[in-house]
Amino acid sequence: MTERNYSTVNPCIMCQPIGSVMAFKGIEDSMVLLHGSQGCSTYMRLHLAHHFREPVDIGSSSLSEKGAVYGGSENLKKGLKNLILRYRPKVIGVSTTCLAETIGDDIGRIISEFKEEEEDLAKDLIIIPVPTPSYEESHNSGYIKAVEAIVKQFTTHESESDIFNNKLNVVLSENISPEDTRELKNILSNTIGSNSFIFLPDISETFDAPMTGELQKIFPGGTTHSDIADMKNSAATIGLGITNDNRAVGYLEQTFDIPSQNLPLPIGLEYTDRLLAALSKIAGTDVPEDYQKERGRLIDAMVDAHKYLYGTKVAIYGDPNNVLGMLSLALENGMHPIMVVASSKSPKFAEYAMERVKQVKPDCDVTILEDVDFDTFNDAVRKAKPEMLIGNSNGKYIAKEMGIPLVRIGFPIHDRVGAQRLLDVGYRGAMEMLDRITNTILEVQEDKLAVKWSEPESYVPLGEDSFHSAEA
Amino acid sequence: MPDITSVINTLDERQPYIALKQAKKGGELACDNTSIAGSMSQRACVYSGARVALNPVTDAIHLVHGPIGCASYTWDIRGSLSSDKETFRTSFSTDMKELDVVFGGEKKLSKCIDELVELYNPPVIFVYSTCIVGIIGDDLQAVCKESSEKVGIPVIPVQSEGFKGTKSDGYKAACNALKELIGTREPEITSEYRINILGDYNVAGDVWLVKPLFEKMGIQVITSMTGDATVDSISKSHGAQLNLVQCSGSMTFLAKWMNQEFGIPFRKVSYFGIEDLAIALRTVAEFFGSEEMMKTAEQIIENETRRIMPEIKAIRSRLEGKTAAIYMGGAAKALTLIKGFHELGMEVVIIGTQTGKRDDYKQISYQVKDGTVIVDDANPLELADLIRKQKADLMVAGVKERFLAYKLGVAFCDFNHDRVIEFEGYDGFLNFARELDASINSPVWKAYGSKLRPANDGDTPSESSDLKAENGTKLKSSIKETNKMQDLNTATLHQESIA
Repeated sequence: MTERNYSTVNPCIMCQPIGSVMAFKGIEDSMVLLHGSQGCSTYMRLHLAHHFREPVDIGSSSLSEKGAVYGGSENLKKGLKNLILRYRPKVIGVSTTCLAETIGDDIGRIISEFKEEEEDLAKDLIIIPVPTPSYEESHNSGYIKAVEAIVKQFTTHESESDIFNNKLNVVLSENISPEDTRELKNILSNTIGSNSFIFLPDISETFDAPMTGELQKIFPGGTTHSDIADMKNSAATIGLGITNDNRAVGYLEQTFDIPSQNLPLPIGLEYTDRLLAALSKIAGTDVPEDYQKERGRLIDAMVDAHKYLYGTKVAIYGDPNNVLGMLSLALENGMHPIMVVASSKSPKFAEYAMERVKQVKPDCDVTILEDVDFDTFNDAVRKAKPEMLIGNSNGKYIAKEMGIPLVRIGFPIHDRVGAQRLLDVGYRGAMEMLDRITNTILEVQEDKLAVKWSEPESYVPLGEDSFHSAEA
Repeated sequence: MPDITSVINTLDERQPYIALKQAKKGGELACDNTSIAGSMSQRACVYSGARVALNPVTDAIHLVHGPIGCASYTWDIRGSLSSDKETFRTSFSTDMKELDVVFGGEKKLSKCIDELVELYNPPVIFVYSTCIVGIIGDDLQAVCKESSEKVGIPVIPVQSEGFKGTKSDGYKAACNALKELIGTREPEITSEYRINILGDYNVAGDVWLVKPLFEKMGIQVITSMTGDATVDSISKSHGAQLNLVQCSGSMTFLAKWMNQEFGIPFRKVSYFGIEDLAIALRTVAEFFGSEEMMKTAEQIIENETRRIMPEIKAIRSRLEGKTAAIYMGGAAKALTLIKGFHELGMEVVIIGTQTGKRDDYKQISYQVKDGTVIVDDANPLELADLIRKQKADLMVAGVKERFLAYKLGVAFCDFNHDRVIEFEGYDGFLNFARELDASINSPVWKAYGSKLRPANDGDTPSESSDLKAENGTKLKSSIKETNKMQDLNTATLHQESIA
């Protein structure tokens, strides 16, 4: 559609509370309770279950009209109590919604009261409040705020140890897949050692739980509480994601003097190189031979695929750090990213995207957008006419309309299986993405050729748009 | 009905909502209340009720007045199909920000309406209010009225503040919005027999398997609400002589109003399952008192039943004796499912709904066998416990319950928004049977709950015994018994080992 100034049509973002849920799900033995009306938690459960294909339980204070008028304190306390009785978590994240924020509930105070009133139940229980009004920012900021609140809570409360642990904190500022999480933990184990890092938040098992024959109330896994508490004693912090302010990283540096460094999500050759180079420097060793080999295989794969990808016009959209990584990967492989779109406002997204474009393909005409809805994105896509989309499943409408393929990555992916196992980080992730992108192109071109082969009467020479089949 | 404490462990406050059907005992199931905080209800909110009931109106703009989340999570949420316009699959929001909350969102709303009318030229705009609108006190009625006069199309407020009641109140809000349209245009009459189909949302194209049956009987179907409905067809729906109500939870309210306002009586029917389909067709023929129509109806019933029976019988032989758990949004669907399962040789052992009323549960209680558990507003832990205790082989529910069932090793059939296969009409019932067959009889369950053990010398091929020394110890050390859930009874799962 044409210019709009007021309405939002097909949103690219979700609200803050869902971001906080994704962060809390990466903590061992934790549950989340949303302070708001019953619908918020149910809709987010649906949205997440659809994507991760796992049961997702999120509590609600089920605010009613009475609660909205006289304050939600009674509901929140009752919600906490029932959640504890049923699930026995060790940590409860309490995130607010627009309703709770607008009626002005002071959740910090209500939680303190609850802990006093229910001393027995609340003993040894950590309750972490996070204000996440839905009318501010997006799911991305909800994630960052929850991670910060988690770190703050654990590092100020559990002061059992102040002993320097010589570990590396690795803190995400954007949600990644369980498979990505597993890969990153492997990379860390293989470079600096399996007991030498603290990874937060860790959804590798909580959002992708193995079938065991038992239903766990709370899936095992997640960053352990002692690890989070120990983050203040670490030697350094690496924040993953650079487009938004990773507040937990800043907090650890300012409060505990832990030197920190923010790196892009390691997607594609260059950004993975930067992580591995940094880790090797920290470990004081060479890059492990296994990774040199893996890197070599990636470069081999890039060479194998380069002609299919060269000049392919692609539009990339989704959460900012993921998009930045995909942009980097596309550029490295000779694709032509004509449009990169970040779902939410991100202070440094455009700057870093432009920087990467200038490094690899200075003459590339690229449109950089952020904080737009899908309707605006679709208009831009219609104009720019990319040959491929890379992003979440909400791009399926425009992909279908334009008759172009969509390579699915990011969140949410509601129309395909395996979102929880999509890998795009590290050299292995880069190879997987490269293969998926290349094979998608090959499939499209095969279809095009098939059409030509089916009309034998008049000879149609292979046009410029056909691919380099002779060398395949 | 009670004897509840023996059913399962749950919160004390939840006990009255769960009961075991026993022949001699009376009593009533608690229901129709707001959900208990922290109980992990599967229900959504008032807005969700309004949204699911109204959203399938294909050519309308459904504008959500509130912060972005409410629109985000409900974008194209229902698998309703359209035979024409697809406007309803687009998500429109006023995306209220902090400033709108502080200074009021009326201006932004009115500007959004102007803008959307100019860009999309829709026949109607439904404006849904969300939680926050009810708190900051935006006057939705006034803004809509003013806009409507200005832009020259109906702009209809849907009073669906999330916290002001339950999902059922949302259905009412949707019905109230529909009322504004009904009777505003003159219907074109093409038959002396005219009906509306109410409470069918055309999920996966359900309506398209039902409407032709009525048309074959010489009946004009003016509209189907709201599946595949257009503003035009809704406006003319007062031209019908009979309303058929399927999803009674959402549409009885409207049917009653149409009866009062236009003198159109209604009948509750279902288009699911062989028996209920036959009842539906006969009910309509009987209502119109036409012998010819009744003859046609009987012919359809006979021919169609004969057509699908061979495959139904074949599938039935594979499902016979299996047990089912039903957890539905509304009671009408739950009720008709009892019969459907019966027709496939299966027995219902758990039945529950999110929004059932007193009378619904009474009816359910008549229909199920002794020993069946009936539950209102259940939560995942209760459902899991019930599935184990009642030994259900299959669950029929929605997305949130799907993965719960899978983790318990129980087959699953989606009978909710997410469905991409029609379940209504004769072919729909065949589809349903195939779905159950596919899930219950899949070989994947053989691996469920299994653990790999080191190969034994006697019963394994020599190749893998080479691996034993190296990997055997590793695997063994990784096997550990995980703890049972704390406050659930420890009914054992049927575990099979592939070892």
